[in-house]
Amino acid sequence: MSASERPGKGLSRLLTLAILIAVFALAPAALYLAGRSYLYQVANLIMIFALLSASMHLVTGVAGLLQLGHAAFYGVGAYTAALLATRFGLPFPATMPLAGLAAALVAFLVALPTMRLVSIYFAVATLGIGQMLYLIMLNWVDVTKGPNGILLFNALRIFNFDASKPAIAYYVVAVVTVVSILVIHRLSHSYYGNALRALREDDQCAEAMGVETVRLKIQSFTISGFFAGVAGALWAHTAGYVSPADFSFTVSILILSMVVLGGLGSLPGAIVGAVILIGLPELLREFKAGDYRNLIIGLVLFSVILFLPRGLIGEASALDLMRRQFAGAWRRAPDRRGGMGWR
Amino acid sequence: MTALLSIEGVTRRFGGLTAIDDVTASLRHHELVGLIGPNGAGKTTLFNLISGFTPLSAGAIYFKGRRIDRLKPFDIAHLGVGRTFQNLRIFPNMSVFDNVSVGAIGAQGVGVVSTLLRRRGPAEAISEQTWAALRAVGLEAQATELAANLSYGRRKYLEIARALALDPELLILDEPAAGLNDTETQGLADFIRRLHKGGLSILLVEHDMKLVMSICQRVVVLASGRKIADAPPAVVKADPAVLEAYLGVET
Repeated sequence: MSASERPGKGLSRLLTLAILIAVFALAPAALYLAGRSYLYQVANLIMIFALLSASMHLVTGVAGLLQLGHAAFYGVGAYTAALLATRFGLPFPATMPLAGLAAALVAFLVALPTMRLVSIYFAVATLGIGQMLYLIMLNWVDVTKGPNGILLFNALRIFNFDASKPAIAYYVVAVVTVVSILVIHRLSHSYYGNALRALREDDQCAEAMGVETVRLKIQSFTISGFFAGVAGALWAHTAGYVSPADFSFTVSILILSMVVLGGLGSLPGAIVGAVILIGLPELLREFKAGDYRNLIIGLVLFSVILFLPRGLIGEASALDLMRRQFAGAWRRAPDRRGGMGWR
Repeated sequence: MTALLSIEGVTRRFGGLTAIDDVTASLRHHELVGLIGPNGAGKTTLFNLISGFTPLSAGAIYFKGRRIDRLKPFDIAHLGVGRTFQNLRIFPNMSVFDNVSVGAIGAQGVGVVSTLLRRRGPAEAISEQTWAALRAVGLEAQATELAANLSYGRRKYLEIARALALDPELLILDEPAAGLNDTETQGLADFIRRLHKGGLSILLVEHDMKLVMSICQRVVVLASGRKIADAPPAVVKADPAVLEAYLGVET
């Protein structure tokens, strides 16, 4: 073990290799053999939600901030990409980073005033802001075309190359998703990740150890917003259509359910959670499971928190996190200056 | 020699209650000072005032000649004040190594860019400081174990290691012997003495009179938020005011 490595935390190279082979060779081969373009859409959706789940993992699973408005940042990214593509004719390689930056900027502005809120108050603030952004998408008809949504023609264009064929689009989504998740992995499996974990475990104590808690919370929230925005661009360009319904509160809860099902603090868990919660309803489509989807997701979230609080492979208990969220709620700030709920 | 930590006329009121009432005290470089007092005397409040958790109502606190009572807890930690907590506050879902690394991270700082670029320098410095702290408390063999799986006694040392990983000049220990049996307390006393010999200045807040009297060079006694004694252990032991505060004897 080299001196700079944290013991027992390296993602084994073998596992990385296996995942890369599955994503870049086995899955496309299976999709090609199945030969149905609908399955490509499902595969893209799974990868997009894996990225959404991975980005929420950083802020909720690792840093312990209950984020109830993640879908809104996903939406900011999707609308940014759609508008840049339709109004200014920008190609995907330009809209994607700009979508990420737009979502990151909104996340940063949201984080500045809310990060000093204690636990559950912060969660409620993210819920409210998520709904506000959703309502803007719905009602700012001049820009977003309201509930009609925005249609992108010739959606996935990489400069002059048309990548919208399902097999090629799959690879575009796969490359962006894998690279983004590797970046998130590097952040969460490092001393930086340790500092964020300390916030989740006991942020006051972390502050006494010299950790700049508010700065780190704002940073992780912003980074998480960036990748949600990138996922939004992927969605806009592969689906070819964005409308507010895709970024509603239920989608935020869906992403949260993925993180909780996989287990708080586990990046592989967050990805497995996305695969299960997107893949399973598709498999059950023939049984009209789609009609009950939100009901099923709610039941999954509820039962996982109660009966499997560490999720499938998590490192921290979701039940404990929830409990602490509420326990902190009626504790006054130690100086009793700021009212209830403020640090 | 100038004081490392000096507390000047510090007062802290909570509503109508004066928890700390005009306390003045100091701690010199390389001194091991005990802070004792009956329950509710304001020991932990004073502690939280020093480490920046609670703002003062009046007075000032200086560390190395710098006024620190307006600073945030992390700034005070950066200046070289490490602390532990009365009711153990370890990070239960993190490994022993990762727990202790947080102290080193606090001291060294972490950045997004250097993490993404995998810069060796900062990571190695954090790692070295973490291992050094683990070795100091003898927890290096359990480095990969989950902190929640350690015994109560070991967790105390884990908390001290985390504070040591900050590489502090002043270590403040909040009731480290609480919940330990006599043998464990004896072991802790030897350990604190060793830390002190190693060059650390220590402020020890403690309930256990025996521990304080046996290892401290000087003892400050608080009662109802006021300082009632400040002298070497032998003198404090015989002080009628101290006896009265502890035993409630009428004089």
